[in-house]
Amino acid sequence: MASDDELSLLVIVVDVNPIWWGQQAQREPEFTLSKCMDAVMVMSNAHLVMTRSNKLAIIASHCRESHFLYPNKHWKAGDFAGDESSCGSRDGKYELLTVGNDLISEEIKNLMERTEVRGQQTETLLAGSLAKALCYIHRVTKELEAGQEMKSRILVIKAADDSALQYMNFMNVIFAAQKQSILIDACVLDADSGLLQQACDITGGLYLKVPQKIALGQYLLWVFLPDSDQRSQLVLPPPVHVDYRAACFCHRNLIEIGYVCSVCLSIFCNFSPICTTCETAFKIALPHAMKAKKKKLKPTT
Amino acid sequence: MFPGRSGLKVTAGWVLMEEKEGEYRQINRVRAGTAMATSSEEVLLIVKRVRQKKQDGALYLMAERVAWAPEGKDRFSVSHLYADIRCQKISPDGKSKIQLQLVLHTGETTNFHFTSESSAVKDRDAAKDLLQQLLPKFKRKANKELEEKNRMLQEDPLLFQLYKDLVVSQVISAEEFWANRVSMNSVDHSLTNSKQEVGISAAFLADVRPQTDGCNGLRYNLTSDIIESIFRTYPAVKQKYGENVPHNLTEKEFWTRFFQSHYFHRDRISTGSQDLFAECGKLDEQGLKSMVGQGVRNPMVDLVSFEDKSLDEGYGISSGPSTSGHNKTLKENSNAAIIKRFNHHSAMVLATGLHKQDAQNEQNGETSSTDGNSKDSDFFQPSVKKVKLKESIEYADLVQENGRKAVSLNLKKSDRYSHGPTPVQCQQYATSQDIINSVNCIRHETANYTPRLTQVLSSSTASTAIAALSPGGVLMQGGTQQAINQMVPNDAQCELKHLYVAAGELLRHFWSCFPVNTPFLEEKVVKMRSNLERFQVTKLCPFQEKMQRQYLSTNLTGHLEEMLQTAYNKFHTWQTRRMLRKT
Repeated sequence: MASDDELSLLVIVVDVNPIWWGQQAQREPEFTLSKCMDAVMVMSNAHLVMTRSNKLAIIASHCRESHFLYPNKHWKAGDFAGDESSCGSRDGKYELLTVGNDLISEEIKNLMERTEVRGQQTETLLAGSLAKALCYIHRVTKELEAGQEMKSRILVIKAADDSALQYMNFMNVIFAAQKQSILIDACVLDADSGLLQQACDITGGLYLKVPQKIALGQYLLWVFLPDSDQRSQLVLPPPVHVDYRAACFCHRNLIEIGYVCSVCLSIFCNFSPICTTCETAFKIALPHAMKAKKKKLKPTT
Repeated sequence: MFPGRSGLKVTAGWVLMEEKEGEYRQINRVRAGTAMATSSEEVLLIVKRVRQKKQDGALYLMAERVAWAPEGKDRFSVSHLYADIRCQKISPDGKSKIQLQLVLHTGETTNFHFTSESSAVKDRDAAKDLLQQLLPKFKRKANKELEEKNRMLQEDPLLFQLYKDLVVSQVISAEEFWANRVSMNSVDHSLTNSKQEVGISAAFLADVRPQTDGCNGLRYNLTSDIIESIFRTYPAVKQKYGENVPHNLTEKEFWTRFFQSHYFHRDRISTGSQDLFAECGKLDEQGLKSMVGQGVRNPMVDLVSFEDKSLDEGYGISSGPSTSGHNKTLKENSNAAIIKRFNHHSAMVLATGLHKQDAQNEQNGETSSTDGNSKDSDFFQPSVKKVKLKESIEYADLVQENGRKAVSLNLKKSDRYSHGPTPVQCQQYATSQDIINSVNCIRHETANYTPRLTQVLSSSTASTAIAALSPGGVLMQGGTQQAINQMVPNDAQCELKHLYVAAGELLRHFWSCFPVNTPFLEEKVVKMRSNLERFQVTKLCPFQEKMQRQYLSTNLTGHLEEMLQTAYNKFHTWQTRRMLRKT
C-alpha cells in the first residue's frame, strides 16, 4: 500500500559555478564538472532504486540562476513513450533512471551553454537554490495524498567559496529548513564553509569535506545516501566543531569577548564612548564602573 | 517506705515523706544514680502505676524534666526536658483509659496511661497540674527560631547538604550561614504563614440552639468557637467573664446566667434586678448611640436620606412631617428595639473583622471602638474624595491620548547588521581574462559531456575513501570520545556537585562584598577569603587527590580552582590598592 511507505525526497543542490569549475578543469583535469555530474547521477540513481517511493530533485546552482535539472517542467514521470530521441534504455537500466540521466545531462548542457558572466557576478547563488529546494519540497508535500508522510533532505555539493552577501538569506533558509524538519547535508569540495557548517549543525545534517575529489562518488554513497533513520544505525563521521563566534562590526574579526551596545546591539571589539551605529553616548565614568558596563560575549556552542 | 521498688536506684536517704492513700510522695532531695539522671535532681512527683507502651512503670517529674522508668528497672527509658515539651494533652473525661500525652517541639508524642484502680484520674490530674505549672517556666522562645531553621533544613535537602559541607566542617560559622537565609525566610514566613483569621458568622448566637432537656429545662451547647465569637463581638461580656470566672462563678454558672439574663433574650426589659449583664445592656446602648453619633463620614453615602417614609407599599415616599425622632422613643416600639439590637449586633460583628489588629495592639484595656466604619471614614480625606469623583467621571479611553514620546532608534549604518558574522575575506581576485577563460573552458567541456556512469570510480580510490571513512580513519577522528559523565562514577559526580554548591555559596558571599565601602564589608571580605582558602584546603584538595588516584585523565576541579583563583586575585588587587591608599 502506498501509504505504508514513507516517502523520502532527496534534493541535490549542485554548485556549478562555471568560473570555479573552469579553473578546476585547468588545475586538476582528472576531476571536472563531468566527473562530478557522473558521481551525482550515480548517487541519485542509487537513491531512486533504494525504495520505489523515493523521490528526487536536482538543482544546479549557477552564478546567475538556480535551475532545476530534474525533474523537468515539461516532463512527467510516466511519459516515456512520447520521447523520440531516447528510445528506451540502451543498457537494460531501469527506465526511470535512463530517462532521468538523459534529462540531467541535457539540462546541464543547456545551462552551461547559455552561461554569461556579467560584471561581478562570480558567486554561486546558493541561498537562492536552497530556497528553491525548500519551495519544491513544500509543493510536493502539499501534493501528497491524505495519509502519506514524507521525509525530505537537501544535499548541497559545494565547490566555490561562501558569499558573505548571502548571509542573511542563508540563515533564513536554514531556520526555515529547521522549522520544516528538513535536513541539510553538505559535501564540500574545496574550502570549508562556515555557513554550511552552521546549516548542518542547526538542521541536524552531516557536513563532510571530501579529502579526495575523485572519490566523490564513494563519499556520496557512503555518507549521504542513507536517510536520517538509517544514519542512527551507522557509524558515520562525527559532527564538526562549529565556530559560532560573532564578528565585530568595526573590523569583521571573529571575537569571543567584546562590547555590545545596549541600544542597537551592535558588537565591537574595543570600547568606544560612542556607538558608531546608533550614536549613543556612553558615559565614561571611573574605572570600576567601566567594568560594570562590559558585557561578555561567550561562544554559543 | 522504700520507693526503690519502683525502679529508682537510691544511694542516699531522704528526709520527708508523705504517705497518702498508698502512694508515696517524695518531696525532698534524692540522689538518683540512674544512668540517665545527672548528678542530683530534685524529684517533685512520683506517680506509680503508669503504663507507657504497654509496660508498667512509674512516672517521675523532676525539676527540669519528666521521666518514666519501667517496673523493676534502674534506668529511665523515657526522659524529656520540660524545655522540649511543647504541650500536654489529656484524654477526655468520659473515656475509660486515663491518659496523658506529651507533645514535643519536634512533633513526637509520648503517651502515659494511668492504671491505678483507685486514683488514676487524680494521679493524672496531679501530674497535669504540676506540668502546667512547670512547662511555662521552661518554654524557650528561641525554640521557634531553631524550629524554623530545622524545618528549613529538613525541607530543602540541598540546603541541608550545604549546611553540612560548610558549617559542620567548620568552613564558615553557623551565624554567617543563617545570616542571609533567616532574614529571607522570615519575610516569606510572615507572608505565607499569616493565615487569614476566620471571621465571625453573624448568626452565631442563633446557632446556639437550645434543646429541651426533658423536664422544662433548656440545654445550650456551647463550643469554644461560639464562646470565642461571643467574646470577640461583645467585649463587655468578655470583661465580665474575666472578672467573675473562676473566682466568683464557674464557667458553667456564668454561661447559665448569661443565657438566663434578659440581655440575651429578645426583649431587653431592664428589670433592674441584680443581673450581671444589666451593665452590658447599658454599655451596648451607649455604644450604639456613639456609633450613630459618629455617623458615616463617607461623603458619597448619605444615610440620613434613607428613611422609611413610605405611604404604603407601592405608593412612594411621603414627605409629610417625619414621625421619627421623639415619638418613637416614647412609645418604645418593640420593633424598633429589635432592629436596634440587630443593627448593633451586625456592627459589632463587623467591628471584630476590622479591628482585630487594633484590639491586639491596644493592651490598655481600652474598649475597642464600636463603630464598624470608622476606618473607612478616616480615609475619606478631601483628596481621596476628589479622586473618587474623578474616577467615576472620567473614562481613560475617552481621554485624548497624550502620546508618549519614545526615543526612536537611530541607526546610521544599518548595513552592518546584514553582513552577519562572516568576516569579509579578501576574495580571490580573478581577472576578467581568467573568468572568460574559465567560462569558455567549462562550456567546451559540458558541450561534449556524456555521462559515463561505469567509470565514476576506480577501485583503489574507492578503497582509500572507504578506509578514510571507517572507524579510525582520517575522517573519523573525534567520534569515539566518551562523554565525561560516563567515565566518572556517580558518587564522584555527586561529590563534585556538592563542592560546586558549597563553593558557589562562599563565592557569592565573597563577591557580594565588593565594592568594599564599609568597615563591616572589609572585615567580611577578609574573613571570606580565609574561608575560601579553608574550603580549598579541606574540601577541594582531598577531592582532587582522590580523583587523581583513581581517574588520571579527567580534570574535574579545574574550573573550581579557576574561580577560586579569580577570587584570590581580586582580593589581592583590592588589598594592594588599599595599602597604597593608606600610605
